[in-house]
Amino acid sequence: MNPVLDKHRVKTVVRPEMRFQEQVYLIEVWKGLLITSRHFFVNLWRHCMKALGQDAAAASVTTQYPEDPQVTAHRSRTRHRLLKREDGTPRCVACMLCETVCPAKCIYIKAEESPDVMIEKRAKTFKIDLGMCVFCGYCVEACPEDAIRMDTQYIQFPGSTRADLIWDMPELMGDRPKIPSLTPSKDPLSRP
Amino acid sequence: MSCCVTPPAWQGWLWSGALIFAAVNFGLGVAAFLSWVERKQSALLQDRIGANRAEIFGFRALGLFHIFSDAIKMLTKEDFAPPAGLRPWHSLAPIVSMGCAALCLAALPFGDSVEFLGRSWSLTPLPLEYGVVFVLALLSIGVHGVVMAGRSSGSNYGLLGGLRGAAQMISYEVAMLAILAAPLYIYGTLDLSEIARWQARTWHGIPMWGIFLQPLAFILFMTAGAAETKRAPFDLPEGEAEIVGYFVEYSGMKFGMFLTTDFIESIVLAGMATTLFLGGWHVPGLSALGLPSLVAALLGVGAFILKVMTVLWVLMQVRWTLPRFRFDQLLDLGWKNILPLALANLLVTVWAAALLS
Amino acid sequence: MAKLVKFNLDGREIEAPEGQLVIEAAKDVGIEVPHYCYHPGLGNPGVCRLCVCEVEGAPKPQMSCRTAVREGMKVRTDSPVARRAQAASLEFHLANHPLDCPVCDQAGECHLQDYYQGYGLYKSSVREDKRHKQKRKDIGRAVMLDQERCIQCTRCVRFTDEVSKTHELGVFGRGDRSVLDVYPGMRLDNPYSGNVVDICPVGALTDKDFRFSVRAWYLDKTPSLCTGCARVCSIEVHTNTRRPWHTDGRRVARYKPRYNTEVNRWWICDEGRYSYKSADSPTRLKASSTLGADGHAVQVAPADAAARLGSELGRHISERGADGFAFILSGTLSCEDLFAAKQLISRLGVPASNIVLAPAPEQLGEQDDILRRAEKVPNLYGATALGFDVSRSLDRLKAPLWGAWVVDREAPAAFKGLPFTVWQGPNAVRFTSEARWVLAASHTVEEKATYANFQGRLQRANRAVESLGESQPDWAWFGAVLRAMGGDFPHQCAGSVFKAMSAAEPAFHGLSFDLPAEGAPLVAAEEAVR
Repeated sequence: MNPVLDKHRVKTVVRPEMRFQEQVYLIEVWKGLLITSRHFFVNLWRHCMKALGQDAAAASVTTQYPEDPQVTAHRSRTRHRLLKREDGTPRCVACMLCETVCPAKCIYIKAEESPDVMIEKRAKTFKIDLGMCVFCGYCVEACPEDAIRMDTQYIQFPGSTRADLIWDMPELMGDRPKIPSLTPSKDPLSRP
Repeated sequence: MSCCVTPPAWQGWLWSGALIFAAVNFGLGVAAFLSWVERKQSALLQDRIGANRAEIFGFRALGLFHIFSDAIKMLTKEDFAPPAGLRPWHSLAPIVSMGCAALCLAALPFGDSVEFLGRSWSLTPLPLEYGVVFVLALLSIGVHGVVMAGRSSGSNYGLLGGLRGAAQMISYEVAMLAILAAPLYIYGTLDLSEIARWQARTWHGIPMWGIFLQPLAFILFMTAGAAETKRAPFDLPEGEAEIVGYFVEYSGMKFGMFLTTDFIESIVLAGMATTLFLGGWHVPGLSALGLPSLVAALLGVGAFILKVMTVLWVLMQVRWTLPRFRFDQLLDLGWKNILPLALANLLVTVWAAALLS
Repeated sequence: MAKLVKFNLDGREIEAPEGQLVIEAAKDVGIEVPHYCYHPGLGNPGVCRLCVCEVEGAPKPQMSCRTAVREGMKVRTDSPVARRAQAASLEFHLANHPLDCPVCDQAGECHLQDYYQGYGLYKSSVREDKRHKQKRKDIGRAVMLDQERCIQCTRCVRFTDEVSKTHELGVFGRGDRSVLDVYPGMRLDNPYSGNVVDICPVGALTDKDFRFSVRAWYLDKTPSLCTGCARVCSIEVHTNTRRPWHTDGRRVARYKPRYNTEVNRWWICDEGRYSYKSADSPTRLKASSTLGADGHAVQVAPADAAARLGSELGRHISERGADGFAFILSGTLSCEDLFAAKQLISRLGVPASNIVLAPAPEQLGEQDDILRRAEKVPNLYGATALGFDVSRSLDRLKAPLWGAWVVDREAPAAFKGLPFTVWQGPNAVRFTSEARWVLAASHTVEEKATYANFQGRLQRANRAVESLGESQPDWAWFGAVLRAMGGDFPHQCAGSVFKAMSAAEPAFHGLSFDLPAEGAPLVAAEEAVR
């Protein structure tokens, strides 16, 4: 035990003493009710003004999602994509670094010999289980080849089975559209 | 009791029956409406919009159609009873709960007596001499529904929720009686219509409503009432977000009945508060206008409903403002704070009344 | 024992035998000097110049792999001079080394990566382009060469010169044009070729079989034994259970040799190296079965199988007598398995003449004076120590037989029509489908077991992966049937069997299941010497 270190490590939180008006509680309840009531009436007023065609401040922070799509920030991490070389072959060399760093263990790569002797190794299959992905972006950080990015601005990938959330290499490269199945698979929990 | 001639027995029964039917339907209608109010009011005070997606032919009507979609959903959902539960009791529990709550509505004095056909017709569906006791008794019987639901679910969570519910409701019944003792001492009657009528008196132009005579009792009554009817911040028996409660094993319309029970109990509570403390159907200065009896009575009914709605709004506002109590805090509040305060209030009232007389 | 001398290493007073290399003396006390060309099993030509250290009195840094310890010398491996010299050497090694790490199989177990982290200059002063040489050159049955990655440490060349003595490899050219290659017209096809992959400190020589399957950091390593021949080499089983799809669900990814002074030193033969595939081969039995009334196999749960087999066997023996029952035991059975079998045999009363240890002598393999033994039965010595007759001739079986229990080998054709046959083993053979009872047994990598090699050295294998499906160790089968027939076999783990064996069998007296890494000689071996 190091007393010097422990002194710095242990932080004593002093809880504020409750004053009489707080102990009575009713006054605090009243204050709380005033706040919520103010919001209620102010928002009600703004809604009414809007309904009457008047210019009023926004009464809510809600975004009406499907009609009014949320615009993602340029740097937000969205669905992955795999990049290609100039000749159209995938940049990925199946080094497994993204698979290794992935905290959700949602990347599944199998390697094979590349016909190009200078590239040597390439991915035979490259799958991402977007149902498992936590969108941390570590795979992008880890990639030594700049082969994977998360800049598609694409955040909708619904599916009716778990298999629908697993994107294969052509789909991630944009060579093939991802078409969700319409019927549930027999084993909805299946993993690749 | 009313000084006028009462109708003959069979007509009285018919009249009373019609009024009971109307009162219960009024309660159910307002309960459905309250589900919308709850959503929209919470949305407004939290800077949201609230449920607005249900639509009929493109009309959304401020989300009012959600009431219908909710009802359709609950009616068409699978009515699931856990295999480990006790099936008949499982079905009976919501009926008991909702039945008791709905019957309370019948005892509320919606308006003054109306004079026509040469007779006096009471606008209280069940004109009872002991209306206060009737309502309190029915609210107490409601606890059976809660315990029954918890026990017959075959789930430990449900059982614990039921036990919490029983402990809470029984604790607050005691407090409730102690609170009401003081105003009832002043009114000198247990008949709800008489109580309402009593409050029509004025003192130097100020109506002698219960809230002015017994402000402390009013606050305590609202608190204890919210606890008795399991409304937030006292919704520990339910606590669906984390501690889950007695109706955790319910689905479909049975669950819907528990939900409706909650709203109906709120209406009963609001009605009781209106009758006991807010002058019932009384509108200050209305009697001075000398309106015909029928018009005055209808205006009185309108005033009663308006007052009930205002109290409901306050209850909702409290529900969305305060966080839920912990169970020990809840029991402390009931036994250590409300009950002594109520008894002290009773003592002061009796003493003051003795001095004044 | 050479004379001990005292010298000072990094400020520590150290005793070492006179003439020992500084690098070895340092390793003995836990100081690692970075090195490439030096390998304790090969000569030390001093070509990589990475292991330089500062010796007091010497004008320049000295190579610790070429400097012998002397009385009173003062050596520093971590002084600024030594560190700078090491970093400069490393810079030369990296000058033409491609940055292939993402695609290189060695990544994760690469000395160049490790030393660069520990000793490297992070900013190279080399501005010139790297020299390109041939990549992906197929130089032999098992090995792929990448000339670019080679740092010319010549370990592999020395291996083919000194150990396998096949002389296939050499370094050709001079300066930065020098390349590692096979001699013209030759291929690296010697029976020990896989070892050059192990000793290669970088990714220049890679294993074709393992190539691109699993990254090194996904592998779990378990010390175990190769049971391919009577040498019983110490190995490490590398298993991949974290990313099963890399090896298509195969759990065992490769075998690597494990250093054992007494048995195999640093090497294993290619035959043993690639024998790992049997652990996950499609022929593995996952469940036990019996022939149903209609002649088709019906799956049976292990406990059920032992109970039913035991009662059937008991009935047959009481009706026809134990003389007509034979045991064909496999040479791959461990000492624990054989001990349990011995107890079962004595319970049944099967005569010793009906016990045969397979394979028959005519199935001997190749033998050389490096590692490989012609005798393919790994535990023959253990069987002898346990009192089994190991003459192994099927002719000795006395006809007529009514039943047989065959373990992990093909049965003679004559066994086909027998009314009661049991086949037990990990991988199905032709006879498996004919046997009345099939008992699924664990593979060597799936159980803790001891084997005594031809020298009488008892070593222990460990469990690298769980038993596949419902298979269980051979001793557990023998024990379960023994219990089902009313015998006493209380053991639940191999350690418990071993304890009973060391108490009951004189050859195993005084031995513990927790054997040292290099194993221990059986008592019988010492007696034989005496």
